[in-house]
Amino acid sequence: MFALYRKLIAASIRSQMQYKMNFVTSAATTGMIMVLDFIILSAILYRFNDVVGWNIYEVGMLYGISSASVSLYRLFAPEINDFEKYIVHGELDQLLIRPVSPLLLLMTRNLDLSRVGGLVQGVSVLVISLSGLAAEGKSIVGLVLFSPIAILSGGVIYFSIGLATAGVAFWTQQMKDMLTFTIYAPANASNYPIGLYPNWLKWLFFSALPIAYMNYLPMLTLLGKGGEWFYPLLTPVAAANAFYFSRMLWNVGIRHYHSTGS
Amino acid sequence: MVYWRIIRKSYHRNLQYRLSHVINNVASSIFGLVFIAIWTGVLSGKQVYGPYDVKTMGYYIAICQSVLWMTTFMSPGLNVQIGVRSGAVSLDMIKPVHYLWYMLSQEFGRLAYNAFYRSVPIGLLLGLAVGFFFPSNPLTYFWFILSLLLGTYVGMLLFYLAGISSFWTTEIRWVHLILLSLIFGLGGQMIPLDLMPGLIGKVAPYLPFSAMIFYPVMTLLELAPPNGMLVQAGWALVLTAVALLVTSMARRKLEIQGG
Repeated sequence: MFALYRKLIAASIRSQMQYKMNFVTSAATTGMIMVLDFIILSAILYRFNDVVGWNIYEVGMLYGISSASVSLYRLFAPEINDFEKYIVHGELDQLLIRPVSPLLLLMTRNLDLSRVGGLVQGVSVLVISLSGLAAEGKSIVGLVLFSPIAILSGGVIYFSIGLATAGVAFWTQQMKDMLTFTIYAPANASNYPIGLYPNWLKWLFFSALPIAYMNYLPMLTLLGKGGEWFYPLLTPVAAANAFYFSRMLWNVGIRHYHSTGS
Repeated sequence: MVYWRIIRKSYHRNLQYRLSHVINNVASSIFGLVFIAIWTGVLSGKQVYGPYDVKTMGYYIAICQSVLWMTTFMSPGLNVQIGVRSGAVSLDMIKPVHYLWYMLSQEFGRLAYNAFYRSVPIGLLLGLAVGFFFPSNPLTYFWFILSLLLGTYVGMLLFYLAGISSFWTTEIRWVHLILLSLIFGLGGQMIPLDLMPGLIGKVAPYLPFSAMIFYPVMTLLELAPPNGMLVQAGWALVLTAVALLVTSMARRKLEIQGG
């Protein structure tokens, strides 16, 4: 299974690397766009110093993890995020007749390499924030060690949400509007401390759209904001859970698939 | 008048999507709620800068999210690039209406639809969260509509220019994304431009992006500086000239290529 994934993804990367210039410009543009996005956040924190007690470097930790995670998801699973077309145009039929799991085929069909720019931006924000925290005299060993775990878990969490949304699309026949609610708005919200939001949103971010486990919850502990010692351990656990349930939803959904016949 | 007919036709065509947009309106409002919550967290227990207390900032974000659906959430490139790729643009160019006004009318019909089925519902939904703002001076409504129309017009021209660049490049995906992020970064969405620090705060109010978001919102809140509408009108004129020039260049380019 894994060997097959490696083979298929290598083929996909090779085909994309035929257009090297396109990769460089698109990755650079994506990075630049995301830097503009970060400017707004820094402008707010520059003017007002902190958000409910989180200073710019602490918010930067949240932002960097979320930004890198969502980029990781968009890099490896563009076809999941874009799954609507498979249902609307009946393209899924082609995948179903092959002797490999359709999910594996979707995952290896395409890589959105421009998202590397977003990954670089997210990691850069993390590095800046970490050095800022170090300059304030905070110990950053735990943060440095935890960051890769958080980014990977975050990527899995976003992927799971995307996969679950695609799973629901088997019934609703559309997912673009749902993605606004399940991916884009949460990705935006997770740039700031989740504690800010109204209770029903907070509840959502800890359950059905579990982005709080990716950065907010572990950072409560690691930045000394009154989190319990085991909060960072919940990050990979939540990611594994989310993956398990979204796989289940996807499997149920795909059994309900009716081709559009067009 | 022919342009009026194009606008009305485009408006009616869009009416068919009403139902699916109802879901999307709720999702879009979540964005607004997130922004409002962030500002409430930022501003609570802080010294107030200018007019921006928690309440005013709530109004600002709510109106902003509503205005975006008219001035910013347009068709990428006003769909010029689609015609360029398929070759249909050659047929549009020989129509007895000017290509620029033809494309703008098409888009304006869609935006008129947005105004009724996007801006108003989202404004009402977010109003439930932050309260409703009513200007004290009735004339403000008039100025707001004027400012909103100017912002929409400037926005349409910017999107049109991005679209018509496809005559030379055929691909506008990245141009569109850059334009969009400039609008979001420097137009005043999320943060009023006079709160931006340093050089950005000084320059941004004079860029065309401010005409699309910042000034319409501030006009309704009765906080706009008196020269705000001048900035909008100035950019409307400049961009009209540029768009006319580029359109005639594109027309010549099309004739050389023969479509």
